[in-house]
Amino acid sequence: MLGTLTELTSVVLQEGTQAGAQPAIPEESGTAIGLGIAVGLAGLGAGVAERGIGAAAVGAIAEDSIGLGTALVLTVLPETLVLLALVVAFVA
Amino acid sequence: MSAAEGSNPEYVTARVRSRRRKLFDEDQYRDLVRMGPSEIARFMEETEYGEEINRMGARYSGVDLIEYALNRNQARHFADLLRFAEGRLYDLIARYLRKFDDWNVKTVVRGLYSDAAPEEIRSDLILAGELDEGDVDELIDAGSVEGVVEALEGTVFGEGLEAAYADFEATNSLVPVENAIDRAFYESLLRGLQGGGEAVGPATELYVEFLQAEVDFLNVRNALRTARTGAGLDPGDYFIEGGRLFSASELSTLAENTDELVARVRESTYGDELDEALDGLEDAASLVEFETAVDRALLAYADRLSSRYPLSVCPVLAYIVAKEREVTNIRAIARGKEAGLSPEEIEEELVT
Repeated sequence: MLGTLTELTSVVLQEGTQAGAQPAIPEESGTAIGLGIAVGLAGLGAGVAERGIGAAAVGAIAEDSIGLGTALVLTVLPETLVLLALVVAFVA
Repeated sequence: MSAAEGSNPEYVTARVRSRRRKLFDEDQYRDLVRMGPSEIARFMEETEYGEEINRMGARYSGVDLIEYALNRNQARHFADLLRFAEGRLYDLIARYLRKFDDWNVKTVVRGLYSDAAPEEIRSDLILAGELDEGDVDELIDAGSVEGVVEALEGTVFGEGLEAAYADFEATNSLVPVENAIDRAFYESLLRGLQGGGEAVGPATELYVEFLQAEVDFLNVRNALRTARTGAGLDPGDYFIEGGRLFSASELSTLAENTDELVARVRESTYGDELDEALDGLEDAASLVEFETAVDRALLAYADRLSSRYPLSVCPVLAYIVAKEREVTNIRAIARGKEAGLSPEEIEEELVT
């Protein structure tokens, strides 16, 4: 993972020096990259939140103290984060 | 993050909380107190204990059936906890469950001392700790208190037991031996956590806090017992290290004066949380009332810790304590009924 990252940076850096005038990342693509990062991070956050909730929900189902429906709803609640990020992505 | 050290507190606490809620409540105890032994067994068949009651029903009856089912059920539930938990959490729970090794060793010693039949001793064991059936059988086969002390040489219990055995021979009382076992358990548990170069994370800190509370309450109880029985024993001799509240010498002086002892507990960190239980302690006239009040205080403290730190080892410990209490309660009801106590007298013994 780290190895590929350094390779990538060196490739980008070389491209920059060789092409001279041309930036490595075209200016107009900045928004798209920003949106990608935003949605990706939102997804990551939702995943982290769902990990705990999911584990607890399965535990509670195993003990018959809540139904599958309740457990599912509770588990996917953090998914709203990703939806909001998508809204932002479409609006921008 | 909760994923730290590979443990899964979310899953375990969800299961444990649900089980905690299914324990008997006051109404059920009120019903139970009015039943006879066979009715209690039938009532238990409808609950969590059904599996054990059905399995043991053919071989035992009456109070023995209840007792056997309670111990088996307890062992099964605690083994479940270990099955659920992973990583650091598993480690902490496993360490705590060694408490039942302590219980089993004490049971064997008591049984051999009173010349009980091996079968009777076996029915009182709770095999939730590290010693399995074979290990405990070996202890039972040792045949005498001396044999048990020898068999335990080299274990955590070994060192203290040898010294205690000399006391036992001199006084012919089991108190020193039992105390040595308790002391070996708590002190090795706390020492293993605090020293040993192990990193003390937040989870471990809470764990230590809970254990310190347990040690403190155990010290209070031991002090009162030795002081009230008036056998000329010094409570300081039976002091267990590791608590936060007392030192050995303080305990000796405090034990003589119940009011001062209660005042001391009230001023401590437990004070704010335990006001109600402590009022009970002050009013308690008899030793029994005092002891149930101490148990209630520990239960309240465990619950408080578990709602304050929901994703820690605390809810699990609170569950273990509550489950133990439930088993003790049902046993008290069954034995009380057998001995012909009135419902009111039995209710006094219950800790809810």
